[in-house]
Amino acid sequence: MSKLTRKPAHIQKPDTLARFQKFYLSDNPFPKDPYVNQDSTDKRVNGKIYETEIHKAEFQQIKDNFLKQSQTDPNHLRLGYIVDTSYIGRGNGKSAFLINLKQIIDQEYCLDISEGKNKCFALYVSPEAGGRIKTFPSFVDILFNSIAKSDIIKNCLAILRLEATKKLYQNAEEIIQHTDDEKLVNDLNTEEWFEKNGFDILAISEEIWGNEFLQQLPPEFPLFQGRRAFMKPFITSSHFTDYYFNTPKTADRINFLFSHMVDFFLAAGFNGAYILVDDFERIPDFQSERQKRDFALQLRSCLFDGSYTNARVGFYDFLLVLHAGVPRLIADAWSLSGMEQRVPILPKISSKHVIHFEKLSKKHAILLLKKYISEYRLDGQNLDPLFPFTEDAVQKIGELSEYNAASILKMADELLEKAADSEEVKLINPSFINKNLGIFEDDSSTRATVRKTSKVLDLQKKAKVKKAKK
Amino acid sequence: MQDEQLEQQSTAAAPIQSVKKFYFLDYIYILLYSVCKYSKGRDILVSFLKMKRAYRLGESKYKKLTADTEDITDGRIRRYIYTFRQVFAEVSDYGLIKSPDDWDTVYLTETGEELLLQYKQKGAKSFNQSLFKFMEDKYGAFRYLITKLDSANRNLPGLLFLPSYSPRQLDFDRQNMKTTSDFVTYSSQLINRLEDDIQEHLGTTKDLKTENKRLLKQLIRTGLLSSHRRDRFDPDKYNVITKRFRDFWMNYFLREIYDYGYSMPSFDIWTYRGKQIGIIHATEFHPYFCGKIVYPLSIIINSVESQDFDQLYQYSDGNKLFVHRPNWSDNQEKFVEAIVEAYYDLRRTYSSYFINLAALREIVCLKMKISDKTFEDFMSRTYRLNLAGKLRIRISLEVDKLPEETSAIYLKREPIMVDKKYRNIIAIDATKGRRL
Repeated sequence: MSKLTRKPAHIQKPDTLARFQKFYLSDNPFPKDPYVNQDSTDKRVNGKIYETEIHKAEFQQIKDNFLKQSQTDPNHLRLGYIVDTSYIGRGNGKSAFLINLKQIIDQEYCLDISEGKNKCFALYVSPEAGGRIKTFPSFVDILFNSIAKSDIIKNCLAILRLEATKKLYQNAEEIIQHTDDEKLVNDLNTEEWFEKNGFDILAISEEIWGNEFLQQLPPEFPLFQGRRAFMKPFITSSHFTDYYFNTPKTADRINFLFSHMVDFFLAAGFNGAYILVDDFERIPDFQSERQKRDFALQLRSCLFDGSYTNARVGFYDFLLVLHAGVPRLIADAWSLSGMEQRVPILPKISSKHVIHFEKLSKKHAILLLKKYISEYRLDGQNLDPLFPFTEDAVQKIGELSEYNAASILKMADELLEKAADSEEVKLINPSFINKNLGIFEDDSSTRATVRKTSKVLDLQKKAKVKKAKK
Repeated sequence: MQDEQLEQQSTAAAPIQSVKKFYFLDYIYILLYSVCKYSKGRDILVSFLKMKRAYRLGESKYKKLTADTEDITDGRIRRYIYTFRQVFAEVSDYGLIKSPDDWDTVYLTETGEELLLQYKQKGAKSFNQSLFKFMEDKYGAFRYLITKLDSANRNLPGLLFLPSYSPRQLDFDRQNMKTTSDFVTYSSQLINRLEDDIQEHLGTTKDLKTENKRLLKQLIRTGLLSSHRRDRFDPDKYNVITKRFRDFWMNYFLREIYDYGYSMPSFDIWTYRGKQIGIIHATEFHPYFCGKIVYPLSIIINSVESQDFDQLYQYSDGNKLFVHRPNWSDNQEKFVEAIVEAYYDLRRTYSSYFINLAALREIVCLKMKISDKTFEDFMSRTYRLNLAGKLRIRISLEVDKLPEETSAIYLKREPIMVDKKYRNIIAIDATKGRRL
């Protein structure tokens, strides 16, 4: 028989509902592998779905103590710690919190939050697991990588060129007035756009080179490349990346990031940057005592009292995310390097630079599930935002997963998959969870001096005390 | 004199020190199980060894440093035949198995079958308690031990402390310990510490100098140290020498201070067996004691008024052994109070939020006189109440290690099972809505 007329044995019925349609969902809203990967395009795992209410208090503290404080105040906080007080484990939402914080800062470059006082961008840095980042220079490398990966250099070039163009050409305002920011940044990083509009890139570059913040920079700084050449230069962010990675000496790289780049960012009108270092423990976990001390000393030098521009103006503000064991791990190095005196990691009293990251509660678990569900809810349905989950079910899920955000999402995912496969299940309630408990149990079997112990129970005495039986 | 009285009170059929040389009561179960399945001596032995490996008896259950081979080789049999014979002899003594023609055929007696069935139906705890009755009928050792423990300490009731301070614990650097003189200095610091301990725990004073001289003479006589102080000792013998110090003083404490009439090995066997039954607790990891502590979780008395005791055994003189088994509903407040107090005490020395759960367990078990199992049960209940938001404190339990603790510590100390998961560390937040 011809393949043209043969039919498959399993034919899709025309009225078949999508798998999750019976719950008025376009897809399963929960991630299969609930760990943040900001490069992923799936919004379930890239940190885009984020419920700001959950860690509102932590965010408010960062806002009040860091974002709202003027960057030009010499006493502003240059280093802070986000300490996971109630939970050492992975999956408590710290990475998602940081990525969201970065997005909030970058949205209006912090101008809105600081009421116009600061123009700052944010960088998210996460040392890789496995202990490759042991020294301060290798940490600086990942820091620069994060700058290169973000569009901040491209944006700065666009800002500098825009200001110079406006100054030199009266018709510039008219040409750009209807262009949105994103397109404008791209245009200002394209040589052809300048040619098309009759703007001389050499004249614009010369105007930029005259910026007061750029006068102390060495001639080899990427922005000056081609300054004395015959060809007209057009600098892009890749010139910066190439320059950095072709600089062999680590000391020069550190100087580039903490002095020259700071001047460059200042020239572009920024007065600060927030460096959000996730999973900081991945650095000291693998360091020797000497490496820890060197790391702390170099960090201190770059942030506070070295000969770098950053140490002078306090441009970069670091927020290190620490799990509960880390303060102890680096306490000695911090104290030997003098960091403990400046920004104590184990402060005796509550301090502005220490932000405690709290564990979730039942209320938070409900908010979390509602947020994910709302992203995949089919339109036009006037439903309980938690449907098909009941509140009791969320409490049960929370307790079973010890209120760990990642575990809650994973369990919600598995329950929804189970419920979608069964025609009878209309609601996910505690009894449905109880029926499916087996799928969550792990493999572990239920197997077969300070002289402070002053008060110890005396069994002989206790045995003689009568107590009414309940 | 007192020992004689104690022995007369019991109707023990065999002397305490004649106990067979093995610690794990699980050995008895696997032997009974093997006899139930096989009747020939060698088959039983092979099955016993296989089960020993499967249950990982005689080694840490959680970490295995060397790979096991599947085969039961002759070498392996030779290595474990001693333990097997000891278990076999003890089980025969209790009349649980019979072997009329010396190993050719072995079979379970009716009592043996009942006991095996009990294990299958009611689990290890109930099985161990039945074994306890056989052991106590024959040896009366637990009565002797518990009575000794009860009179061991005036300040901390029931606590027997066998101190042990290695050179490292007294701030001696091994690299700098080279000559006899270094060990002499160590020994004099050691006795100062031991004298302090006697003063603190027993409220009496003792001069240990003569005993110390005796020990040093012994070490010189055996060639481990030299009679010339400046002579170097063999560095390979360092561990042997420190072990001699430890054994000497532990034996001294046991015999001279606590007036225990039998040897250290028999003391160890009985305390460890008592721990498995749940009537005695013994540990070397209490954070406030350097050395070993042992205390009873049961009492021997005519009758009890409190509801928190269960009778386990009746002696011929009318006295009974009651095991302390506090019920949850009456003791939950006390338990939570104990873990919070222990947590804050320990945090002073750790300065991080998380502290070692095993250390906390030891403090709470001693304070409340409860067993490891009761602790796990109470901790699981507390943790579930915490997750349900019914506590005024918040508790986090994790399986991670503390950064400063080496893996070697975790090899020795087994993790604690709370709410069906292994846990190593704990943090408590009592700052919100607390009353402490």
